[in-house]
Amino acid sequence: MMTTGITAEDLAHISRSSEDIRRELGVDPVSVRAISDPAIYDLEREKIFKKTWLKVATTWELPNVGDYKVKELPVADASVLIFRGKDGNIRAFHNVCTHRGNKVVPTTGFETFGRSRANVVTCRFHGWVFSTDGPLRSVPMKERFGKLDTACLGLREIHCDIWEGFVFINFDAEPAQSLTDYLGDFGKLFGGYPYAESTTAFRYSTVLNCNWKVAHYAFSEGYHVPTIHAGSLPGFQGVDHRDFKLMGPHASSTIYGAGMDTAPSTLAFASMLSNTERHRPRPDQLPPAINPERRADFQFELPNLFPNFIIHLASGCGYPGMSFFTHQFWPLDHGRTLWEGINYFRPAQTAAEQVAQQHVNALHRNAWLEDTATMEDTFTGIMSGTIDEMQLMDQEFLIRHAARTLDSFLAA
Amino acid sequence: MTHPTLPAPFADLAPFAAQWARPSENARSEIRWSASKDDFKALYDAMMPRLDDILALLSQHPATGMPEDVHNLFLLACAFAEASPHHELYGGSSAVPYSFDARRFVRTDGDAAL
Ligand code: FES
Ligand SMILES: [Fe+2]
Repeated sequence: MMTTGITAEDLAHISRSSEDIRRELGVDPVSVRAISDPAIYDLEREKIFKKTWLKVATTWELPNVGDYKVKELPVADASVLIFRGKDGNIRAFHNVCTHRGNKVVPTTGFETFGRSRANVVTCRFHGWVFSTDGPLRSVPMKERFGKLDTACLGLREIHCDIWEGFVFINFDAEPAQSLTDYLGDFGKLFGGYPYAESTTAFRYSTVLNCNWKVAHYAFSEGYHVPTIHAGSLPGFQGVDHRDFKLMGPHASSTIYGAGMDTAPSTLAFASMLSNTERHRPRPDQLPPAINPERRADFQFELPNLFPNFIIHLASGCGYPGMSFFTHQFWPLDHGRTLWEGINYFRPAQTAAEQVAQQHVNALHRNAWLEDTATMEDTFTGIMSGTIDEMQLMDQEFLIRHAARTLDSFLAA
Repeated sequence: MTHPTLPAPFADLAPFAAQWARPSENARSEIRWSASKDDFKALYDAMMPRLDDILALLSQHPATGMPEDVHNLFLLACAFAEASPHHELYGGSSAVPYSFDARRFVRTDGDAAL
């Protein structure tokens, strides 16, 4: 079933004990200056968000030729048009008309989905027409331009590549690394899971008045679970957060859990899902180096794909029927962040399965409401100047590692 | 007020369908946010003993293209699926305790699946 041929032994070099982590990443408190200093944000835009590979879509969001998604990315001063062209390939373009700069596809909000049935898009300002694979197709009153090199006036393409159905772009004119090289061992660790089967998505977003890293870091550790989630995870018997892994700019870890008291309604919904082949826990589908012992109490993998993407791979083992869930943190400016959370399930066959997924989704959404409750207060606290440093324990190592990676990109 | 039609074995739940069943998650959230502790308890007491029977009936229908009475039951079941934690876990509160403002937390995919 695994297509990568990667074994757990092949990735032995990424695994770290707590002692390794302390030795490698240190134990000292970490400065909060990267969060509090607006000047750092300008550097992050130039040296990280305009240089690294960023996930912007999934292939299953754009199943048909002509499907498109527009993503507004203020962090890169960009509106990005992601198209599935006539040849079936996905490409990314600046959503900017080469005539005088209007948006080719008008947008509403941060994400706009649509479909071009004729495989062209027309700018509404003066009617220039572009193919979904980029070239300028037609120009009204073309003969009235004294000079017009239409061959060079296609939509401006952005480097775009796909890993496991996740579509990434890179704003750099010449990216220093291919996507495969940038992902490195992360791609091997997470590769091989049938992500694209989980096409049912429950998508949430909110704009938070905090620096993007405050939101990111709040979702990067299991230390908060017994306290902040006491309401939504009653009778919670603790998490076992272990199997630390370092992979260049990326890192990962595993949340195992002793379980919790399950409420009667949750029990009914969960058992209905676990009786179906498509929604039951599938530890066997996990890539070999994730939960290598196939422990029954596996909840999910908790990684950081630098700079701003988290794939929590659960394979139905944590929240009932949940295949995986993702977080992404898009800076809008130094103190404002667009957070996007998506729960992915395999499609429900029956109406009953759909109701059960709605329940599981609601429980998880409610836990996210507990997570997001801390973020603006944390940022306000940091901006007050009261603390210069964060104190980080072993299970907050993803934060320590991300902060260190950030520093190294900013210093480059 | 005319109540939504439900499959015969569940006809008595029609007043709950009128109060709670809405065709999208965002619309159901509006109902939930204004519900009282007693509202949650009444829904729970009516639905929980019947949940297995409701799921058994809904298991016989594909996720899309249900007859209207089944679809009404389905939407009521969705509302219950989202409301039950408020009775079971949150002490009847319409908000998740110690949480971010749920009104700022939007379902962004048009919520069209239902
Ligand atoms: S700006 Fe697009 S056609 Fe003129
Ligand atoms: Fe959390």
